[in-house]
Amino acid sequence: MSGAAERTGQGAAERPWLVVALPKGRVLDAALEVLRRVGVAVEVPEDPRALRYEGDGVRALVMRNADVPTYVDLGVADAGVVGYDVLLESGSRLYAPVDLGFGRCRISLIRPRGAVGPIRRVASKYPRMTAEYLRRLGSPAEVVALSGNVELACLSGLADAVVDVVETGATLAANDLEEVDVIALSSARFVVNRAALKLKSARLRPLITALREAAQRP
Amino acid sequence: MTRAPLPEGVRFLAPEEAAQRAQAIAVLRDLYRQWGYLRVEVPALERLEPDHPRASKAFKLVDVGGSVLALRSDFTPALARLVKAAYPAVAAGEERPLRLSYDGLVWHAIDPELARGREFTQVGIELIGVSSARADAELIHLARESVRALGLTPRVEVGNPAYVTALFDAAGVPEGAREGLADAIDRKDQSEVLALVAAHGLRGAAADAIVAVPDLYGGPEVIDEAMARVPTAAAGRALERLAGVLEEFEDPSDLMLDLGMARRLSYYTGVTFRAYTFDFGQPLLGGGRYDGALLPRAAGFALGLGRVLAAVEAAREQRGGAARGHSRRDADPLVASLDDPAARVLRAAGVRVVRSVAADPEAARAEAVTVGADFLLLPRGTGGTASERLVALRDGIDPAVAQRLRSLLVGEVA
Repeated sequence: MSGAAERTGQGAAERPWLVVALPKGRVLDAALEVLRRVGVAVEVPEDPRALRYEGDGVRALVMRNADVPTYVDLGVADAGVVGYDVLLESGSRLYAPVDLGFGRCRISLIRPRGAVGPIRRVASKYPRMTAEYLRRLGSPAEVVALSGNVELACLSGLADAVVDVVETGATLAANDLEEVDVIALSSARFVVNRAALKLKSARLRPLITALREAAQRP
Repeated sequence: MTRAPLPEGVRFLAPEEAAQRAQAIAVLRDLYRQWGYLRVEVPALERLEPDHPRASKAFKLVDVGGSVLALRSDFTPALARLVKAAYPAVAAGEERPLRLSYDGLVWHAIDPELARGREFTQVGIELIGVSSARADAELIHLARESVRALGLTPRVEVGNPAYVTALFDAAGVPEGAREGLADAIDRKDQSEVLALVAAHGLRGAAADAIVAVPDLYGGPEVIDEAMARVPTAAAGRALERLAGVLEEFEDPSDLMLDLGMARRLSYYTGVTFRAYTFDFGQPLLGGGRYDGALLPRAAGFALGLGRVLAAVEAAREQRGGAARGHSRRDADPLVASLDDPAARVLRAAGVRVVRSVAADPEAARAEAVTVGADFLLLPRGTGGTASERLVALRDGIDPAVAQRLRSLLVGEVA
């Protein structure tokens, strides 16, 4: 029956465990680590293809980071861990009560070094944020949505600027690109479904407090 | 490529789903009627008003004369127009309660996203012409009762954006920064709230209260917590209003306060609320007080019928319930009939009778099964009385149901 509840995707009070959506990749390890430190231990299965991790009173669903807001917004997951950049791009109005502090990066406007010409076309994995940024600037540039290796758009001439993640800036330097403007600062957030916070506050509230403390002392 | 039969974001309702909706609407209409609300209807076609709270979401159409029309995107402004036309004194500020209810379709011209329609049914009420804690509480009572009437367990979050507005006034948050800060508070985005408070150089008791407000959710104790460091009289009044609302409940255990509710601050001027239910991650209804926005004194809420029915369905699955089993069919049996006078007798007693259009009794039996009938009433002259000519078409029908139908037919000619 719990299977049925999961299929229709509704967070349940009758569901005794907490469902947490976690993103695949680098953030996953850091997320599991911070959860472990606040006493929420999740078993990492041997099988690397496993998509569900079980823990004591917790079930973790592992997915692409861009899908985390969807799972939490619709209540299939009660909470999740996701980059602020992904959250902003999703447009979801989830509760984001904890800045976990890891996965820090900037979302920036990037151009070939020394480029001064007008920006006519901008490529990005963040079409929503990019469009909003350009609107704020009053720029009429067109936005092209790409799914990866966005720098290539600049190098190949597909676009005359890109909006992308910058962590250390090493990739930019290697490709003779330059960070022109910082659009947003991002780091991993603990996000919570709106209904879940109200219906399961006995469980979630102490978790939020503990995560805030853990994030203060990395 | 073949043309899609429907535009995106709208859909057909097959009979079963249409019946569920009609049933839910009937239950809610009856509830609101019992509380003294009068049902009204308003046109789906409106003049486009740029200051309409949802103007950007409205589907626009061009009228014959060239003026721009809009499909109804929200009931509240439509009801406000009705009040201005039908109750001008109330619209002008006369204090007297006016209770109205409505149900119908609204359309939102949004990008059709997954799981979000563009045409949906809203059912709601407005309590106009009064503004008090007791009036606020009446709406919350009814919000709770609406969810219960549909067989779900309610949990209602209650806040008062007037408190957040009072904190902004006290801290001197500049006009241009309010929307962003309110949004961060409403999302309980602590780091964003801190960043914005720092960026705008806000300091002092009011700034501290702004930083604290996203975490002020829970029982009545959050009012005391906020009251302990209330920066201005206006903020105190907003908290007192909430306390007053709580006093109107004998059992406030399924209410939850959230002082960080700060959605649409320029529209909602007082107590706002949203209802949730267990097993479902999205709000079922939402509303609040918007004194001065469209009418001098008014508050109301709207319930999204599609959402609510999805929650009902989820709850049923959770219980493992086969609510569409035989017992439900037995309660409302369907008879296929080849005997028109006897059919009239059954219909007069409230039984559903479909007229068989088959050529002979053998074909009629097959046809009756296809249309989902539980009984077949054979034509006169095929032997026996009308009672004897009523044949059950499936096993497991409650004998009492067959008995009742047969007793209705006693006295009908052979």
